[in-house]
Amino acid sequence: MIFSELYGTYYNAVAKILTAAVERDVPLAQMREIIRSAAFEESVFEIEPAITSQRWNLISKDGKTDIERKPTMPLTNLQKRWLKAISLDKRIKLFDVKFDGLEDVQPLFRPEDIYVFDSFSDGDDYENEQYVKNFRVALDAVKNNYPIKIKYTDRRGFASFIAARPLRLEYSEKDDKFRLYISGSRGMSTINLGRAQSCERLAENVSFTEKKTAPVSKTVTIELVNERNALERVMLHFAHFEKQAERIDDTHYRLTITYDSDDENEMIIRFLSFGPFVKVVQPQRFAELIKDRLYRQLDCGL
Amino acid sequence: MSDKPMRLSRGLVFILREESGVAYSELIKNFEKIRSYMRDFYVYGFKSRDDYTQKSARSYDDERRRIESWLGDCMGFRQTSGGKSVFISIDSRLQRGNPLFRAWKSCSFTDGDITLHFFIFDILYSPEVKCSMAEIHEGIEKRQQLFLQARVFDESTIRKKLKEYEEQGIVKKEKVGHTVLYSRCESPAFDGADALMFFSEIAPCGVIGSFLLDKLPPQKTPFAFKHHYITHTLDSDILCSLFDAIDRRCEVTLEVLNRRKTPFTITTLPLKIFISVQNGRQYLMSYSEYNDRIFSTRLDNIISVKIGDVCENFESYRQKLEDMQKNLWGVSIGRGAKEHIEFTVRCVKGEEYIFDRMMREKRCGIVVRLDENTCRFSAEVYDAGELVPWIRTFICRIVKLKCTNDDIVQKFKDDLEQMYRLYGIKEEALV
Repeated sequence: MIFSELYGTYYNAVAKILTAAVERDVPLAQMREIIRSAAFEESVFEIEPAITSQRWNLISKDGKTDIERKPTMPLTNLQKRWLKAISLDKRIKLFDVKFDGLEDVQPLFRPEDIYVFDSFSDGDDYENEQYVKNFRVALDAVKNNYPIKIKYTDRRGFASFIAARPLRLEYSEKDDKFRLYISGSRGMSTINLGRAQSCERLAENVSFTEKKTAPVSKTVTIELVNERNALERVMLHFAHFEKQAERIDDTHYRLTITYDSDDENEMIIRFLSFGPFVKVVQPQRFAELIKDRLYRQLDCGL
Repeated sequence: MSDKPMRLSRGLVFILREESGVAYSELIKNFEKIRSYMRDFYVYGFKSRDDYTQKSARSYDDERRRIESWLGDCMGFRQTSGGKSVFISIDSRLQRGNPLFRAWKSCSFTDGDITLHFFIFDILYSPEVKCSMAEIHEGIEKRQQLFLQARVFDESTIRKKLKEYEEQGIVKKEKVGHTVLYSRCESPAFDGADALMFFSEIAPCGVIGSFLLDKLPPQKTPFAFKHHYITHTLDSDILCSLFDAIDRRCEVTLEVLNRRKTPFTITTLPLKIFISVQNGRQYLMSYSEYNDRIFSTRLDNIISVKIGDVCENFESYRQKLEDMQKNLWGVSIGRGAKEHIEFTVRCVKGEEYIFDRMMREKRCGIVVRLDENTCRFSAEVYDAGELVPWIRTFICRIVKLKCTNDDIVQKFKDDLEQMYRLYGIKEEALV
């Protein structure tokens, strides 16, 4: 159903070449450039000969075509059904979109066909009008690169203001929350969008300073022993990190993970969840954090 | 000389010809073949060529090279004592757009397929244009005047292609008098690029959103994703077929790999898809009439799905599953009987967030605050063993653990002892 040449990179690349050729002849160099940007690394070695040897009779060697209009294709049933499915998602309200023409389409899936069983229960409130308004302002600011003023509730429950340039909206399915990466006078930081009371474009006459900083990455190395299927569980669990894995022997493996320094506490509890199958070996400072928790557990007298 | 291109260095490829042997192509006909390679490269990343070459060294080399061509910079290589290992390394927070989608855009086709495709939609350029077979035939000839040798398509080939497109919902046919007329289908104009960039990453079968994005001008996504698991992308076709079966309330016959990676076949009624956002696994929850029970099957272990007959009792089995959900921590039904589990944690002043964490992270059961410094979680679940990893995240605070399944408590304590030994805790404590 999904695996079809209709959605393929080659069809898309050829459509782009034809789009250009409908207007004027496409020289070989331009053809190659389109293929390089639209297709895979080695595609030029397959698409170009197919064109130049006239296997496809779509474009001549000198970049001419008898195709009369820019290529387009209607949406397939599968595409329409998927669109209909996302139109039923609670998060669609964040976006100002219309789904005209899909009234008679059966969704590919309905919310009741899916059950996410391990997301946290205090996710953002997508029904809240102010939240949706804040989201849209933040999204527009990220896309158009302008600073905004955010009124938010800080950790102690007090209302605060910050002027900052939104850099990106980060979503976590586990937390079911959006965090806004911002760049302001204290450098780069994040704010939970759910804490924002209001977001508005910063007036042009308001001065705004921005300190350029980058997130700090750290690495941690663990050794794992493959008992009770720990290898697969650990590797899947940490699959979304930049990482390097190696086999030490038939049952032992070493994994080095690069993580954001702000997430250190989360990393600690994630390692602890694997019990004795995972041991932090480097850096020693991180291993001491685990040991500290184990000492405190020993005192709990379980 | 051969048709097989050899990678001598990145970006430098020589086309060699060889009388015998099949030519290498970046495109593939069968996705299943590439699925396990990609999963291994992404999830494990330490296996060497020897680990893959039990069946065929050539097959490994071709698949590795294809994946390298699709994924480019996401691929890495490392020389270890066990040989060269290939891996896909992606930091989901920095990577914009799921690179595994590219694999789904590599379906092979014939020269005739691609030529006909662009001719047909150029002829049927708007829904108002209705053409007979003769007119389409004529249009195809007209579009090859530039070429000395026109590609000839017989009527049955064109008809077959049009029928294929009818099934995909992009072409329709109607009969006017004795003549069959073809036209392109109406297409809704959807321009919500932001929504597509978001949902293609987080919605089931998100690759379809990526196909839709390919129709729009390229743009930088404003989104990043944390805790973003993308391995299930490789199971999109399986998931799509299961959704189809659920929609039609049909049974399915599944070809599934067991723990020893041996395929076996089961017939079952799909009820719901359970998704973990903490490890990216997706499960089919289904009812087996043969065993009269609901059970889970990991989607990444399913090789194929064949849709069967409609089941009249779908709603009652789904209701049964929904009733069970309040006692499921994960996907395991265990032996079908419920187990009681509870644990108590102690916090010190300033650690009230632990209570909030318990409330936020619990999937079922209740949390009771016993006094200022302690709180207790308790639940009735089908498989108490599924809670153990979560309970371990409270290590340093756990003062009590009780379960009607004694093995769980014993194993938890044994594991804890093992952790103390692993970090030399007790030895140091004695000193």
